[in-house]
Amino acid sequence: MPHIGQVPDPSQGIETLAATILLIEDEPVTRTSMAARLTRLGYRVLEAENGRVGLEVARRERPDLLIVDWMMPEMDGLTFCDAIRGDPQLKSSQILLMTAHDAPAQIAEGLVRGADDFLSKSSSKQEIIARVLAGLRTSRLVRKLETTGEELKLSMLLLEKKQAETEADLQTAAAFVQSLLPSPGSPVHGITLAWEYQPSLTLGGDLFDVMTIDADHLGLYILDASGHGVAAALRSASLMTFLRAENMLQLLGSYDPANVLFEANRRFPLSADGDYFTLWVGQLHLPTGSLSYASAGHPGALLSSAEDPSRWLTTASFPLGFDPSARFTCDRVSLKPADRLFLLSDGIYEVPSPSGELWGRDRFQEAIDAGKQTSLSATIASCFAAARGWQQAQHFPDDAAVVGIELTDCREDTSNG
Amino acid sequence: MDKTAVLDLSEALNRADGDQDFFVTLATLFLQESPKDAAAARAALERQDRAGLAAAAHKLKGSVMEMCAPRLFECTKRLEELGQQGKFAEASPVCADVETRLAEVHVALRDVIAGGFPS
Repeated sequence: MPHIGQVPDPSQGIETLAATILLIEDEPVTRTSMAARLTRLGYRVLEAENGRVGLEVARRERPDLLIVDWMMPEMDGLTFCDAIRGDPQLKSSQILLMTAHDAPAQIAEGLVRGADDFLSKSSSKQEIIARVLAGLRTSRLVRKLETTGEELKLSMLLLEKKQAETEADLQTAAAFVQSLLPSPGSPVHGITLAWEYQPSLTLGGDLFDVMTIDADHLGLYILDASGHGVAAALRSASLMTFLRAENMLQLLGSYDPANVLFEANRRFPLSADGDYFTLWVGQLHLPTGSLSYASAGHPGALLSSAEDPSRWLTTASFPLGFDPSARFTCDRVSLKPADRLFLLSDGIYEVPSPSGELWGRDRFQEAIDAGKQTSLSATIASCFAAARGWQQAQHFPDDAAVVGIELTDCREDTSNG
Repeated sequence: MDKTAVLDLSEALNRADGDQDFFVTLATLFLQESPKDAAAARAALERQDRAGLAAAAHKLKGSVMEMCAPRLFECTKRLEELGQQGKFAEASPVCADVETRLAEVHVALRDVIAGGFPS
C-alpha cells in the first residue's frame, strides 16, 4: 500500500492499474486537471461532462470508483447518486462526491442521497490520493462480496439440482425395494398377511418376505442391516436376493431355518466397516400349523394366540457374520387357527419418549395383545400409532417394520371339518 | 496565499504535479473556456436569472481554483453567493469586477505561456 503522497505501485492490484475511475465534472479545466492527476497515479480514467452521460458510461463500463461533481447541468451529483443507488447493477458502486461545499447539512444531504465520501475541489494531492485509495479499497471489498455471493448462489443452485437428482434416484430405489416386499392379503389359502414399514430415511435397511416354498410350506423372514441409508439398503437387497425360495431350494434342498441361517452366515461376513445383519427365519408347515424358526441375533417374533398369552419366539445367537462356523438351533411351535405371528424390527419399539425413555418390547406386546379383537392390519396400525404417540413424532429414528400373519384356516381343520 | 495576487504560480504548478507543460495545457484551456462562463454570468445577471448566475459563477470559480488566481477566485465566489441570494443590484459591480480580474489573469497566463515560468 502506497503512503500518502507516494505514487501507488502498479503491482498492488485494483488500487492502481486495474482500477477504472469515472470522473464526472462539467467544468473542463477542473476535469482535465483531475483526470491527468489520476492518470499519473496509474488509474484508467473515464470522463463525462454531466450526470446523464456519466450514468451511461457507468452502466457500460462498471468503473471501480465514481468521482462526481456536486453541481452540474442536466443531472447534478445528488440526482446522479439517486440514480446509481436505484440501479440494481450499479447500486453498490463507490461514489466520491466532489464539492466546494463543506457545510455539515450539505455533507449530510450528500450521504443521505448515496455518496460514500467527499472530496473538496481544493484538496491537496495527498488528500485526493488518500480518498481515492480508500474508495477503491471499499470497492474491491464490495465486489469481492458480490462475487462470493454470486458464487455461493450458483453453488447452492448446483447443490439443489444434485440433491433433487439424488432424491429422485433414492425414490426410484425405494420404489424398487418396496416392489420386493410381499403383497398384503392372502399369500396362500388360510393365511392373511398384513404389514407396515417405515424406513427412517428414503431407503431402509429392514426387509422381509413371506413366500410359498412348496405346496405345504410357507417361508418367512425379517432381516435388519446395521446402519441406515443407501449402503444398508443395498446390503439388505443383496441378502434378500439370496434368501429367495428358489435359491434356498437349489442350495439347500429345503427352507429349513437353521440351514438357511448357516448358509447366510457363511456368505455374508462382517463388512470391512463392521456392518452386519440380524435375521429371523421361519418355515410354516401349512397342513399342521407347525412353525420351525431360527434367529441370528434378531430380537425375534411375537406369537399372539387367541387363547393363550402372547410369547416371544427367539433363540440366542450372534448376528450373521460374527462367526463363519456358527451353527444355529431351530425351535418349533404349533400355530392354531386365529393365531397371529408378528415379525418385527427393533426400530418399532426402540423409540424414545421426549424424556428419553424407550417404548420397549413389553409395551409393544401390550399393544399387540390389545388388538386381538381387531383386524390384523388394524392391530399393526395401532402399534405404529402407539409408538408414534410415545415418541411424539411421526418419523422413527430407525427403520421400523411389523409383519403379521394370521391363520384364518388350516388344511387339517378344513379336511377334518 | 496572498488573496490580492493575480496568480499564485507556485501553487498552480504544484496542483499540476510540477508539470509545466501540463499547466500550460490547462492555462490554454482556461483561456478558451473562462470567457464563456463570464459571458454566461453576465447574461444571467441581465435577465435576472438567479440559478443561471450562480451556476455560471460556480463553474468559473472551479476553473479559477485550478489556475490559483486568488483575487479572481474571491470575486467569483462572491458573485455565486449573490446569485444564489438573488441580489442582482449588488451582483452587478461584482460581475464587472470578475470581468476585470479575469482579464488580468488572462494577461498573466499569456505571459507565462509566451515567456515561460519565472526561474
